[in-house]
Amino acid sequence: MDLKAFEQRIESGSRLNVDEALQLYRHAPTYWLGRMADGVRRRKHPAGVVTYIIDRNVNYTNVCVARCNFCAFYREVGHSEGYVLGFDEIYQKIEETKALGGGQLLLQGGHNPDLPLAWYEDLFRGVKARFPDFKLHALSPPEVLHISRMSKLPVPEVIQRLIASGLDSVPGGGAEILVDRVRKLLNCYAKASADEWLGVMRDAHQAGLRTTATMMYGTVETDEERLEHMLRLRDLQDHTGGFTAFITWSYQPEHTERGGREATGIEYLRTLAIARLVLDNFDNLQASWVTQGGKVGQLSLAFGANDMGSVMIEENVVRAAGAVYCMDEVEIVRNAEDAGFAAKRRNMHYEILGDPFFRAHHVPRTLELSTAREAGDTSEPVELVNYPARSAAGKRQRSQPPASPVA
Amino acid sequence: MSINTAIADRARANEALTAAELDELATADILSLGMLADEVRRARVGDVVTFVRVGASGAGAGEAGEVRMTSLPETLAATVAAVAQAKAATGGSALSGFSLADIIDRGWGDLAGVLKQLKQAGLGAIVEAPLDRLSNPEAALQACQDAGITVQSLSLQKPNAEGRTPMLMQARALAARFPWLTTIAPLPREQSIAVPTTGYDDVRAVALARLALPGVPNVQVDWTQYGPKLAQVALTFGANDLDRVSVTDDETLGRRRTSLEDVTRNIVAAGFQPRERSARA
Ligand code: SF4
Repeated sequence: MDLKAFEQRIESGSRLNVDEALQLYRHAPTYWLGRMADGVRRRKHPAGVVTYIIDRNVNYTNVCVARCNFCAFYREVGHSEGYVLGFDEIYQKIEETKALGGGQLLLQGGHNPDLPLAWYEDLFRGVKARFPDFKLHALSPPEVLHISRMSKLPVPEVIQRLIASGLDSVPGGGAEILVDRVRKLLNCYAKASADEWLGVMRDAHQAGLRTTATMMYGTVETDEERLEHMLRLRDLQDHTGGFTAFITWSYQPEHTERGGREATGIEYLRTLAIARLVLDNFDNLQASWVTQGGKVGQLSLAFGANDMGSVMIEENVVRAAGAVYCMDEVEIVRNAEDAGFAAKRRNMHYEILGDPFFRAHHVPRTLELSTAREAGDTSEPVELVNYPARSAAGKRQRSQPPASPVA
Repeated sequence: MSINTAIADRARANEALTAAELDELATADILSLGMLADEVRRARVGDVVTFVRVGASGAGAGEAGEVRMTSLPETLAATVAAVAQAKAATGGSALSGFSLADIIDRGWGDLAGVLKQLKQAGLGAIVEAPLDRLSNPEAALQACQDAGITVQSLSLQKPNAEGRTPMLMQARALAARFPWLTTIAPLPREQSIAVPTTGYDDVRAVALARLALPGVPNVQVDWTQYGPKLAQVALTFGANDLDRVSVTDDETLGRRRTSLEDVTRNIVAAGFQPRERSARA
């Protein structure tokens, strides 16, 4: 392998094809990949700024019919630990987020058959009525598809209705690996095939929304399939330019049906670096400190990442699979600055909002991320009776009078 | 900042870098520093990564390369008794224990005499000598030598980036004086929960230890304390030894309790050859 020739090509901005990318991913020394990725990051972000966003990662329900076998978060319909957050609980979370300097919710959840489109519309309208400037980065492509299937409305129409209710942007979750062989093995093909996932993103971009893209690696896919995933994203980005960022993380196996072992830290850094080289039309790459921990999360900044992602405030999905890292704004900023960068707050569009919030406001330190609810709280929000349930368990539950509060 | 080539060449030639040179290396960009440390490490000790499985005395101890005692009893008599009891239950594994600083802090009298008693009771080695806790490290290590008991690693109790270079210079002098000191553990034993050391801090400390100490073959990272991800990355920044790999494979105890398969997989994925070792004594 002629690394010098690759070096020249990458530095001149030539695009890597799949064979070249595969060769580098498999055989290039880790430091070489890091240096190349860091060079591309410098060219795209010459000001030496590392960004982050203060938002809250809220999972509105853990009830899900998709049953992806890599997921430790979901509960089946009717399960005693299943929950749906109430509108008031979500408004409360927004209040708390604003107090910490946040301006957005990352709102995702399970494919709950008992939440019709109207529930999402009412929630979004309710948020916008109370918090007009607050942003909703909500509903990954498989969730949009689920709502489309439940409501028997085409995806573009669902997207339009959600935008009309207050949707601001779409998170890139549920991509896993965009290769159907892999999706079938992970039992996530039915929730969205690779084409369907990309189709929702295309529709969202055409509707004027910006979205992110993700990749979860380390289950059953081959190296070729990881690169095929990246190339499919690159192709769509060539057409729409709608992706703001790429985020990759390793599969978290604990408590999942699939089980197995987590990919190593070096594999993460190599994957991040090759993504920076392959995804030449993506401006922003996030560090996944929530899966890799703060230390390797920070080292990501030397391997192509230019963004520390979200302060999160709350996290439920990765925690369910065994990872329990926490970085509040103070920690994110300290890590970015320690690595030699200026740390700046941003929004979902990667527009700089300003300097760290905690430097101008009193913000208590957060050493542990919150959860959607207190453990064991599966109380049913009162407003759910206004929405027809589809599942037998949901119908039963909604026909019962709400439990009276304990005095 | 990229690496000063003259300093890099001196490191490659196993020359003793000055404090000013180490300070300059500490400001180099992290990837260049790591590459240099990795190159020097491969030239000095090859591409093998050693690791030791450490267990507690009792059932299953025989599987461990080393059985380690951590909490030091209040009195010398109780410690001697505890060592003798632990030795009887090691299942043939070597017995190590304690921080040299903890033993000194107990004030049990003549240090060499105390260490001799522990050795006679069955203690094979002292686990560590934390340089930032020893007021007179040379005298303390001399006592170990006089007692015929080794110290497995020179270590650091607390993070102190400013004090790193003087500590490395001190470690180099001690290793020259006591050639049986073959291991440095440059990452601090204590971490603040609110302000832990960063990934950059940690790998920089590992790389500088590798470059500063041509006479110390082993740069060690604690697998249990630092976790598989950081420990694995540290291997590519000059570390060649993983301490405290848990002997049990009980995942319900938490994600950092890692199996033999996991430690070898991490070593191989970092581009090195795993080799399980026994205790250093
Ligand atoms: S990953 Fe999402 S869609 Fe799949 S089972 Fe979990 S919650 Fe449901």
